[in-house]
Amino acid sequence: MSSSHGHHAYHLVDMSPWPLTGSVSAMMLTTGLVKWFHQFNMDLLLLSFLATILTMIQWWRDVTREGTYQGLHTQVVMKGLRWGMILFIVSEVLFFFSFFWAFFHSSLSPTIEIGMCWPPVGIQPFNPFQIPLLNTTILLSSGATVTWAHHAITSSNHSEAIQSLALTIFLGLYFSALQAFEYAEASFTIADSVYGSTFFVATGFHGLHVIIGTSFLAVCFYRLYKCHFSSDHHFGFEAAAWYWHFVDVVWLFLYIFIYWWGG
Amino acid sequence: MSAAIMSSEEKLETAPFDPRFPNQNQTKYCYQSFVDYNRCQKIKGEDYEPCEYFKKVFQSVCPNAWLEKWNDQLEAGTFPGKI
Amino acid sequence: MATWGHLGFQDSASPLMEQLIFFHDHTMVVLILITTFVGYMMAAMFPNAFVNRFLLENQTIEVIWTILPAIILIFIALPSLRLLYLLDEVNNPSITLKTIGHQWYWSYEYSDFLQVEFDSYMTPSNELDLSGFRLLDVDNRTVLPMNTQVRMLVTAADVIHSWTVPALGVKADAIPGRLNQISFMVNRPGLFFGQCSEICGANHSFMPIVVESVSVSAFLNWISSSSDL
Repeated sequence: MSSSHGHHAYHLVDMSPWPLTGSVSAMMLTTGLVKWFHQFNMDLLLLSFLATILTMIQWWRDVTREGTYQGLHTQVVMKGLRWGMILFIVSEVLFFFSFFWAFFHSSLSPTIEIGMCWPPVGIQPFNPFQIPLLNTTILLSSGATVTWAHHAITSSNHSEAIQSLALTIFLGLYFSALQAFEYAEASFTIADSVYGSTFFVATGFHGLHVIIGTSFLAVCFYRLYKCHFSSDHHFGFEAAAWYWHFVDVVWLFLYIFIYWWGG
Repeated sequence: MSAAIMSSEEKLETAPFDPRFPNQNQTKYCYQSFVDYNRCQKIKGEDYEPCEYFKKVFQSVCPNAWLEKWNDQLEAGTFPGKI
Repeated sequence: MATWGHLGFQDSASPLMEQLIFFHDHTMVVLILITTFVGYMMAAMFPNAFVNRFLLENQTIEVIWTILPAIILIFIALPSLRLLYLLDEVNNPSITLKTIGHQWYWSYEYSDFLQVEFDSYMTPSNELDLSGFRLLDVDNRTVLPMNTQVRMLVTAADVIHSWTVPALGVKADAIPGRLNQISFMVNRPGLFFGQCSEICGANHSFMPIVVESVSVSAFLNWISSSSDL
């Protein structure tokens, strides 16, 4: 294999089918979503979702083999991975920036069509001191437990790391369940004025990111269980923790501005 | 009829500049005058002369299609403003 | 109006357009001075065979060619800002004219005293007589009194359009759900032509604007006879 040869610390990757299968299934996923949004059946969506999941599992399995078992993730490679994750999270911050821009544009100077007030005439927002406040405490606690897990890993305390990471994942699932309950109870929909649009697009994309972050932590839990992480080589976990903190911070802004100030 | 108008309207007059709406965007000047007229009539009764000022303003400033839409909304009870 | 081979501004028909032309001329003077100076320097340098031993790290010339352009830019920026705010000024308008952009025509509403509203479509080439202007003439002209402050309110019913009359120095986007205000005063009688200035679909080029400036009494005659219709 060419990747293990050469007198340098860089990781030259091998041929892999996953970029191709990933692109094809991502294209199918968007097409399937559009088809579903237009009231057709879910066949293409489910098929492409399966293809995406299979690609992710096998790609990550390969990366784990390269990094953990073949030792190809040297210090210099890890530095690249760190920068990659940082830039990815920055791009995600900018993604949410656009939704907050739309929200403040619409709420700071409400138009005549919604009665020049915020929330708009006829909208009954959620009480921010009920489930949303509980959700805030859940996410803040999960931020603490993921840090606990990090400390346990760096001090080679395997059983404590397992417990605290399991607790973090549980809190993530609890948050998603409460959000699902809240959505089901909502008195307004995404089609009810710019309030409904900004509310559901912003909180909906945050919810999607919570699910992605929970899956990321779940993969880390599996790898922790399989003893992939050592006290000084566990970037996969660190990336998941960074991502989880990012999701946490976005929620704080959502809670303060959209639920509290905007409700 | 036209002779009468000629004499009475020799001095052209329109809605004045309103310092509450100093911007190029005059949407709210139109909307606020419409709301003020209807609120004025609701509080003071339909024959109260001073309310007509708001009517003069919104008729000058609002596109007719908007007024039609809002009057339909008022009748249907779906107008977003507080009257 | 613009004619064949006409590249500059049209003659102004309003005080603001006069100011705009003054500003254009002022900026052109500055531009020509700079271009001439830089051109002369280039022409003088190219055949020069000497070597400049103090080419690098020459702080004096760096300071001069940073400060000097900044001062020149101030002389352009200040009149520009003055004019920008002048264009937005609303001086006690005597009449309000509303125009609504549609795909693809303008409709006009006069509702200060008599309710007058009409649509203004382009006259097709095959219906045009010899005195008509192809792609510029309309079936119903927008009549306005001269020497009178006009408040123009611009909006649209479907997509974004833009109401423009170059001779009056006026251009405002017509946006659905929004009322844009511009004010102007026509200082002479005549016909002033304009075209939609925001790509609005297939017939964007075929929804012209014709402002007919007349005396106040002729305007009152026109509006009272129009409202009787």
